[in-house]
Amino acid sequence: MRHAVLAGLLLVLPGPAVAQGNTADQLEQAARYHAALDVERELVLLRRIISPNSPFVVTHEQRVLAYKYLGAALVVLGQRDSGIVYFQAALERDPFVDLEPQKFTPAELAAFSDAKRLTFGLGIRAVAFDTIDPRTERLGFTVLTTHAADLRVELRSADAQAGVVLYQGITDGPRELRWDGLLADGHLAATGRYELLLSGVSQLTHRPDSARLYFSIQQDHAPLEDTLAALRPEDLLPEQHPAAMARTELFKGLGIAAAALVIPRTVANGQLHGGGRTFADGIAVTASVAGIGGFIFRQRHREIPANIAANAERRAQRAAANGAIRDRNQTRLAQARLIVAPAAGVGP
Amino acid sequence: MPRVSGPALAILVAVPALAAGQVSVQGGLLVGRAEHRVVDAGTLVAASGTLFGGALAVTMGERFQIHGEALGGPLTSAATPSLEDHDVAEAQISGGMKVRPWLILESGLSFRSFSNSLARQHWTTWRIGAETRVPLGFENVTAVLRGYWIPLVSVSGLSSPDVGLAAGVGVDWRGRRLDISARYTLERYDFAPSNGAQRLEELSTFRVRVGMWWPRTGRAKHSA
Repeated sequence: MRHAVLAGLLLVLPGPAVAQGNTADQLEQAARYHAALDVERELVLLRRIISPNSPFVVTHEQRVLAYKYLGAALVVLGQRDSGIVYFQAALERDPFVDLEPQKFTPAELAAFSDAKRLTFGLGIRAVAFDTIDPRTERLGFTVLTTHAADLRVELRSADAQAGVVLYQGITDGPRELRWDGLLADGHLAATGRYELLLSGVSQLTHRPDSARLYFSIQQDHAPLEDTLAALRPEDLLPEQHPAAMARTELFKGLGIAAAALVIPRTVANGQLHGGGRTFADGIAVTASVAGIGGFIFRQRHREIPANIAANAERRAQRAAANGAIRDRNQTRLAQARLIVAPAAGVGP
Repeated sequence: MPRVSGPALAILVAVPALAAGQVSVQGGLLVGRAEHRVVDAGTLVAASGTLFGGALAVTMGERFQIHGEALGGPLTSAATPSLEDHDVAEAQISGGMKVRPWLILESGLSFRSFSNSLARQHWTTWRIGAETRVPLGFENVTAVLRGYWIPLVSVSGLSSPDVGLAAGVGVDWRGRRLDISARYTLERYDFAPSNGAQRLEELSTFRVRVGMWWPRTGRAKHSA
């Protein structure tokens, strides 16, 4: 039973690989026919490849190549307009497609050039996995217009509305752009997903077109330090006396006054009829005034200056420590390297 | 175990504080009223007058203080001079230790002299007690409550009293250098009855002190 399953897998798995290989073989064969000017056989092969009924898997690149050779073959056969149509089909699918002058005749090249004039497309070459040091290196992008166009190339974070403009102006054909890793605000691009947005208007047909390339950036730097957490209420001293404090001050003053009145009436010997009651009354009045004054003062001034100063010092210490941490982190971020990788698009 | 005398103990306490620069000195002037009442053989004699004097206090660190003061003045019993008029002179020294921020234990010696043209009577007392300080609403305003037991009283010409008590209450204000305090103090002495009569004596005073601290600090300290 196990052998039967293995045998079945061996029969099934090579299928797509063989099919791909057949498409590639057929394209190679078509190219050889084209070089030998055996365009009739070439056309048979190429039409089989682009046919919806093709039994083989045809990749996007293979289809573009098939259109390119179809266009060239038709031009050789004298069907220039039809050839241009296929060239246009190739250009619409891949604006970077081109005819190598050493493989194609001047007539084919001229037809392809006409196709490029008739077709307006913008292209961006995919970025490869790369690591750059933004202090000394630049990240390269290759953009292209099929013919003269007013082009704007903007790089921005995928979730940002605006970014840094890498190029704006008239261009025709491929153009190499270099990016230093900085965004419009002058800061190094943060870790995240970015897009390169091309928008242009043809100078021949006045048709607009746009293209996007998504890629991700990850900052590679030494680990950053965490800043100190915000001070919690329990980390700070109370800066105000409780509202009951004023009443307490009043009661303290009146209590001292009462004590002053009680001493000559309890400690003193009654037979002496004295005890300095007048003196005690003076202290009682003084303490009462102090208590009432303290009551009023505390109602108007509940703040505790010493605690306020202590809390301010704690806050200042925390701010200074966080400032130092931020400085150290900035230094590490300034030495960051950027790891660039292609991305599928916006979103997780 | 060797015995440590009072002055030696004070020196032992003071030297480290001096070395640490934690000593402050307070000097002040005293002015007050005193009322001296005596009942002897059923006769009440009361005399009062104005006293003047000075005080000196040394605070060592946060806990210890030595305080001394001297004051005196005439006490008269009537508008016209009489034999009951006399002068009082007093010197006292005491030491205090703060056991809680609001509580100070104190002990001290007091030397007092009552004199007139006919006689002089010397009092020597030793007291022990406590002082509690209660901050009031204003910054640097403190109320003071004191209570003392006077177990040892030596009076020339008299036996020692059976009861010796003192109590006081006052209010202090402490500025950055200047401090002002008002104190009411009552001392009570009850002598043992003899031949059917009992001698009772008390001295009450109201003192206002104006003092200065050195070095100047913004922190309230214990003052006598």
